[in-house]
Amino acid sequence: MSLVNEDEALIAAALNGSAYAWEKLVKRYETQIFNYSVRLTGNSSDAMDLMQEVFLGVYRNLHRFRGDAKFSSWIFRIAHNKAVDMNRRRRLLSNQLRINDDEFDILDILPGDTGNEPDEKLGTQQQNGKITRMLARLSLEQRLVVEFKVFQSLTFDEIAVMQDISANTVKTRFYTALKKLKAVSEENNVLS
Amino acid sequence: MSCPKTQHLLQEYFSDDLTPLSKKEIENHIYSCEQCSNELEFFLLAKNKMQGWKDQRVPHWDRGTELFKREHHQERTETKFWNRWLWVPTAVSLVMFCALLFNLSVVFSEQEFSISFGAKSFDRQLQSQLIEFQQQQRAEMDVLVLQVEDRVNSGNVQLMRTVMEQAQEAAVENLDRIYAYFEQQRLRDLEGMRVGYQELVNSDYETIRSLQQLAQFHSYQGSTVR
Repeated sequence: MSLVNEDEALIAAALNGSAYAWEKLVKRYETQIFNYSVRLTGNSSDAMDLMQEVFLGVYRNLHRFRGDAKFSSWIFRIAHNKAVDMNRRRRLLSNQLRINDDEFDILDILPGDTGNEPDEKLGTQQQNGKITRMLARLSLEQRLVVEFKVFQSLTFDEIAVMQDISANTVKTRFYTALKKLKAVSEENNVLS
Repeated sequence: MSCPKTQHLLQEYFSDDLTPLSKKEIENHIYSCEQCSNELEFFLLAKNKMQGWKDQRVPHWDRGTELFKREHHQERTETKFWNRWLWVPTAVSLVMFCALLFNLSVVFSEQEFSISFGAKSFDRQLQSQLIEFQQQQRAEMDVLVLQVEDRVNSGNVQLMRTVMEQAQEAAVENLDRIYAYFEQQRLRDLEGMRVGYQELVNSDYETIRSLQQLAQFHSYQGSTVR
């Protein structure tokens, strides 16, 4: 059974009241959604809140899923909307991420930097921490475009449909985001 | 020196629907333009570094299953099972501990159910129960004796009645037998009398014949003499 068919089978079973199917469905996507949330919020606590809101939205709207698109696309559309709602409500995502270190440089995110760490997990956390600090410099709109383009490998057109904007706007936001990262990196280099 | 094409070309460079020809044209410009080349280099580096993200493990959470089961009116069988049954041994242990601690005695009887604490009260209770039990046993024995006596008396009457009925039946039967015997004897006597009479008749007849023969002889003798 393919992943898509398996998703549909799990959705049908969950709609029939199978808690096991629901749990399995959540398990399939929780890692993706959690890491998406960490990249957007910058910390695990807010990421958990966002992830729970996403799956609550999935649960409330599961009966509306018609199977026209892939379930993964549908769930990320909900994740996008929840992130926007959360940002609007809590004002946590818009340049106010709870990140300890304000300084970042894209050139710091090099494999050699984490190679000295004895603990691989610590190295992973540091690597991810640098990425989240980098993303924290972007607005939510820019961060979402980078997220879907770089991490979810969506096309500009798919992102445009998801965010209900034009593809050109998406391209502009993506370019602006990269440009901003470059500017910040150069600024830090000058300051240092 | 600022290149006016940088934004447009780099936006298109990351576009997915770019034709190979367009991509080639863009790349030709980028390689010949220092600014575009620098920006693309940084963008690709940033993209590569971001793609080095390593997925973090999800902290433990209930995955919304409690909400799901609550709204679908389902019990969480495993948890509910243990919640439901874990208190049973605990409660039993507590009750047994209290029973031992307070020397609890529970008495069941047909009339009452009583719970008492301590050994003395239990002894008193036991003695009263024993006395009551003895009295009850005595009363039951009396009733039983009366029942047995009644049963014996009624049995005797029944036996006598049966014996009398049997005696009456035997007397009637004996009278019948005696009557039959007498009747049989009478018939036998009659038959004997008849046989005797016949014999007598026969003997008389023989006598007559003898007399006739004698008379015939005398008559014969008389004729001869003449």
